[in-house]
Amino acid sequence: MPTQIVMNHNGDTRYHFDARNAEALAKAEERFKQLTGEGFTAAVRTKPGEVIKINSFNPKAEETVFFPRLVGG
Amino acid sequence: MLGFRRVPIACRSRLKALRGLYARYYNENTPEVRGLRLLGAWLSPSQFEQFNAEAHFDVVGCATGRRYRIHYGTQANVHELDDEGGLKMGWCFVPQGRLVPGDVMLAQKIALETSESRALSVAIRFAPNRKVRDDRLALIRQVLSGGSNGSRRPN
Repeated sequence: MPTQIVMNHNGDTRYHFDARNAEALAKAEERFKQLTGEGFTAAVRTKPGEVIKINSFNPKAEETVFFPRLVGG
Repeated sequence: MLGFRRVPIACRSRLKALRGLYARYYNENTPEVRGLRLLGAWLSPSQFEQFNAEAHFDVVGCATGRRYRIHYGTQANVHELDDEGGLKMGWCFVPQGRLVPGDVMLAQKIALETSESRALSVAIRFAPNRKVRDDRLALIRQVLSGGSNGSRRPN
């Protein structure tokens, strides 16, 4: 089941959704837009260890990870 | 008047077992462990092996081809490597908010591998003159091996 993994101070929060369910899909897409709109970066794995950044919702991605905007430390 | 009742032996052993169960559950579900588990699942096989052995792993910047070493930590933990593999320059950039080390390191890996220039544009440079402590190696090995309810990364 596709999962959106949002990093936070608790480690992460995971949102699983059924890609065949139109309502769940819309909710997941809305979450994607909201997070990226807030400055989160979204990335998916293409194969073990290989990642790409995505700018639009990918309902077929097994896992999408979101991390907050980068800043100088 | 304060009174202390002796706890029966059977009850004491139950309490001890309960405490052990709680400690085990707690240790397996801390944010730090969850972060390490996520990181382990997203590393390449060679990065996974390196991280498991040395508490750091190397990534290649997508724009310049430069090599960087990401150490266990949440700040001042990224170093650019020179041709001999020595620490050349420190680059400090982190995701906003108080994230655990595994999450910070995964964000740094993704940033360098997918948008290196952008990551470096916000980074603060520092001289790599201090030794980075890799003192969490035992925990890293425990989590990556699945010993802390973790799952070994899929091949």
